[in-house]
Amino acid sequence: MTEAVQQEGYAPLVAPEVTLSSIGEQISHIVLQPHAPRWWWVGFSFSFTLFLLLVIAACWLFINGIGTWGVNIPVAWGFAILEYVWWIALASGGTIVSALFYLTRSEWRSATNRIAETMMLCAAAPAGLMPIFHIGRQGLFYWIFAYPNVMGIWPQFRSPLLWDFVCVICYIIMSIFFYYVGLIPDVATVRDRARTPLKQVFYGVLALGWRGSARHWATYKTVYFIMAAIMAPMVISVHSVVGLDFAGGLTPGWHSTQFPPYFFFGAVISGLALVIMLTLLVRWGYGLHSVITERHMNALGKIMLTGSVMLTYSYAWEAWGPFYGSDVAERTMFLERVFGLYGWLYWTHLALNAFIPQLLWLPAVRRRPLPLFLISAGIIVGMWIERFIIVITSLHRNRMPSMWGDFYPTFWDWATLAGSIGIFLMLFFLIIRFLPIVSIAEVREIMHREQGG
Amino acid sequence: MSEARPYGIMAEFTTAAAIIAAARGLHLNGFRCVEAYTPFPIEGLDGVLHKARRPWVPILVFVGALVGAVYSYFLQYWAAAIDYPLNVGGRPYNSWPAFTVSSFEITVLFAVATAFFALLLFCRLPRLYHPVFDAPDFDRASQDRFFLCVEARDRWFDADRLRDMLARYDAVHVALVPS
Repeated sequence: MTEAVQQEGYAPLVAPEVTLSSIGEQISHIVLQPHAPRWWWVGFSFSFTLFLLLVIAACWLFINGIGTWGVNIPVAWGFAILEYVWWIALASGGTIVSALFYLTRSEWRSATNRIAETMMLCAAAPAGLMPIFHIGRQGLFYWIFAYPNVMGIWPQFRSPLLWDFVCVICYIIMSIFFYYVGLIPDVATVRDRARTPLKQVFYGVLALGWRGSARHWATYKTVYFIMAAIMAPMVISVHSVVGLDFAGGLTPGWHSTQFPPYFFFGAVISGLALVIMLTLLVRWGYGLHSVITERHMNALGKIMLTGSVMLTYSYAWEAWGPFYGSDVAERTMFLERVFGLYGWLYWTHLALNAFIPQLLWLPAVRRRPLPLFLISAGIIVGMWIERFIIVITSLHRNRMPSMWGDFYPTFWDWATLAGSIGIFLMLFFLIIRFLPIVSIAEVREIMHREQGG
Repeated sequence: MSEARPYGIMAEFTTAAAIIAAARGLHLNGFRCVEAYTPFPIEGLDGVLHKARRPWVPILVFVGALVGAVYSYFLQYWAAAIDYPLNVGGRPYNSWPAFTVSSFEITVLFAVATAFFALLLFCRLPRLYHPVFDAPDFDRASQDRFFLCVEARDRWFDADRLRDMLARYDAVHVALVPS
């Protein structure tokens, strides 16, 4: 026990053999090497195939309309909506790691924050596509923008659905700014190591002529801090508003004041799970064990555990609420949710999100890549199921027994799900091939503090 | 070449401690047009080299946020209460609680965008070419070396004197930077 505490308190975040130039070389080499490693090609081809599936599924959808999916009355919100919630939660996890833990001055964040931010940008792509797919008349999605038009009308600013749209679009734009500001000094490092004209121009233009002068750094630190301080509450608001989409409806199982924090807890746990999986992948693929150490995995594991505990609390509240209140519809729906057609899903998500993650209390589990990876994968599946339960079981036992009905996904539902994973992974593989995947400047700062000199 | 006025004189250091010592020394000797180039932010270096400025970045960000707040609230108010008043369940046209969410998001969007453009403004970026890039070895300023440049516009600029001075501060290499 004392040994573990000591190790945690004093183990370096960066392995002692890393030097200022070796970290630059290692990270730059990843993006500058002329040929990508084989695992990259395997991963990229796989995700590109899935992406093509998404293209086909989208075309099929545009031609035939959303009747190709299993959605119908009463279950009119199906996979597209639940996947939107799932992806935006995964994206939020990236911001939590990079912004929230920047503010708490958690040094371990520095080696993983770029991976987390990359993940957030990539997950924003499927998250943004899903609602557009869902609306039926996809070509008219721009009607939700507030712009002067010949119809003389405006979007309904009082609707949580519009708030949600505003949140997501602001979030994506802000994430790009935040990501890019963090990237500038690192692409400057890559620029100075590039030896072919094409790469020199590409990274040179991206670096905007960054010189790393004292004035540059001072401004940069201020700007980065301000951005982090804004992004942290912003990401909480984004996912809370997703919760309001549901809480604003009168449907049993949705109409609950706990939804905004409940959804945010879900974002913490699922986002962290995906950060852990991708960090392990990148660390293994590029051999970054000296920069991404056990201490990082340990810290990420602890936060995921915190997310799981908070989420378990929300599950308990969700189960207790219907019996505390007097609404028969809430009770009927809840009993159907737990013991009905989709009951097995309820128990599965409880196991994956609430029970199995409790293993993370053991330091040995947090420090080993394989158990950590498996628990994280379980959580990602579990969170998908959670969204399935929230969206679908609530609708299928609405207030009027005359409008009860079941939902069965079709092939095109599953194709859209697979395709959304495809577009995410494809973007992720592209970014880790061409842009620095670890924040070189921040790791150097930590080394400077840890190693002196 | 030697007749032309140089941009400045550039000294290369191997450690952060050495560059801080040199920066302090130059400042004490009255040099005011000195700039450091380092691979990572070194705490306090900017304070040694430059006069403290007003915190312009936070001020600008605040102004940006204010513009975003006014713009977004006014847009909603004008659309929902003046241009196309729509009675929803008898609620007031100016339903401010419902307008706060979008207002918040657009406010913070404006703040972050302002912060980004403030970074470009105060760093004078994008500027793809700069004379210091011609200094020998300067590509290591983004890797593992620390550079200090005394610019020729400094009133005490004297290349020979500076050469000696910088060498005394353990500069491994001192060279003129052509302008």
